[in-house]
Amino acid sequence: MRLAAQGLAAVLLLALQAALQRHLGGGAFTACLLAPMVVHQVHSAGNVEGALGAALLGALLDVAAGTPFGLHTGLAVAVFVGTRLVGAAVDLRGPLGFAALSGAAALALSAGAVALQRLGSAPEVRPGWGLLPRLLTEALLTALCAPFLLRLLKRLDAWLGSEEPDLIG
Amino acid sequence: MLNLLRRYRELILVAVLITLPLGVYFARSKRPAEQTLADRLLVQATAPVERLVGWAVVSTLRAWDGYLALRGSHQRAQAAVLESARLKLEVQALQQERAENERLRRLVGLAESAPRRDYLGARIIGARLGPGGLQLLTIDRGSEDGLGRAMPVVVAEGVVGRIHTLTGHAAEVLLVIDRNSSVAVRVERTRVRANVRGQGMPDLCRLDYALRADDIIEGDLLVTSGTDAVFPPGLPVGRATRLQRAAHGLFQEGAVIPVVDPTRLEEVLVVISGARDPSLPPAASGPEGGR
Repeated sequence: MRLAAQGLAAVLLLALQAALQRHLGGGAFTACLLAPMVVHQVHSAGNVEGALGAALLGALLDVAAGTPFGLHTGLAVAVFVGTRLVGAAVDLRGPLGFAALSGAAALALSAGAVALQRLGSAPEVRPGWGLLPRLLTEALLTALCAPFLLRLLKRLDAWLGSEEPDLIG
Repeated sequence: MLNLLRRYRELILVAVLITLPLGVYFARSKRPAEQTLADRLLVQATAPVERLVGWAVVSTLRAWDGYLALRGSHQRAQAAVLESARLKLEVQALQQERAENERLRRLVGLAESAPRRDYLGARIIGARLGPGGLQLLTIDRGSEDGLGRAMPVVVAEGVVGRIHTLTGHAAEVLLVIDRNSSVAVRVERTRVRANVRGQGMPDLCRLDYALRADDIIEGDLLVTSGTDAVFPPGLPVGRATRLQRAAHGLFQEGAVIPVVDPTRLEEVLVVISGARDPSLPPAASGPEGGR
């Protein structure tokens, strides 16, 4: 139930992101609104459920970005694990810590995608590191949007009646 | 052994969730991107929301333009009337030149007047230009409106891209600036051939397969050659820049500044047919792209 609701929320977020990007800058500046959702898994779900949720979000990212299946799926789970490790030192419940980690997660997802595509793609379609400024801008914008998303995600959790797991998971 | 598995089952599951998808990715990463059921489902699910947001934004802007921003509209209307008159004169002159061009083509036997093209206007309702993935725009027309895969998408300034994913009432356009997009071009000035490949950046593409000895200079306009069987010939793609000729090698290197900035587009035209004019006599028909 929780995973399904999360998937639905993610699809809605993807649609909203595409529509807003069209009207705010025409796509010159992008944000990755699913990155905060991956970070949110850390304090809203246990290890297994969180990893599955992250994989679902990653798979949606793959479809939305048009990348081959598996690229963002694996990366999202890796980002979830990384955030779980860092989450012990950062206050994820506060907007500032959540924003910082969401920005870092967005950067890890997109930079990871670029790095893996450089390894896996045919030579003529390999992305270049000239994309770095765009990756950084995307991370920054994601961090700016994250506190608003945190509120929405907390409401969704409250609506679904999910309890926060203990820190050890 | 079973105890060990049970003890580390969470760790194992997480490791599998990381490595399995990445393994699948590396196994399939060199295959060309194809439209899948998941792509269509996502477009079907997201297009209504994108349409709704677009309607809300456009309605708000229209309310602003219609009621609050009317100051100076009289002067603007007068200027528009003058501009319209000037454009009408220009259209008349162009029509005469076109007719003359047709006559001359027939005379020299190429005839094959440019195939008649039908266009379908579409509004952009979504943009997916993230740096890690494909560069896509969503438009509010789909297969029910007569669109098909790989149909060229253009604006008055030049080439935008081609249709990538289709649903009944929406479609995604793969932009020229995408890394997977390669357009066969000619230099308008010298007619030499090359390719323009996207790099995932809205303002820069790469010039591919331009021979070292070819006459290309900074600022040359590149137009579609039509040899890729996707884009009709003669549409502007971009301008050559940062040209470099190494001491060795077959090709010169260069970049291309696209003539169309995808981040500023509101509407586009889809070329829905490139059929030849049926009124032309058979003898007048020449080979496709026979320049």
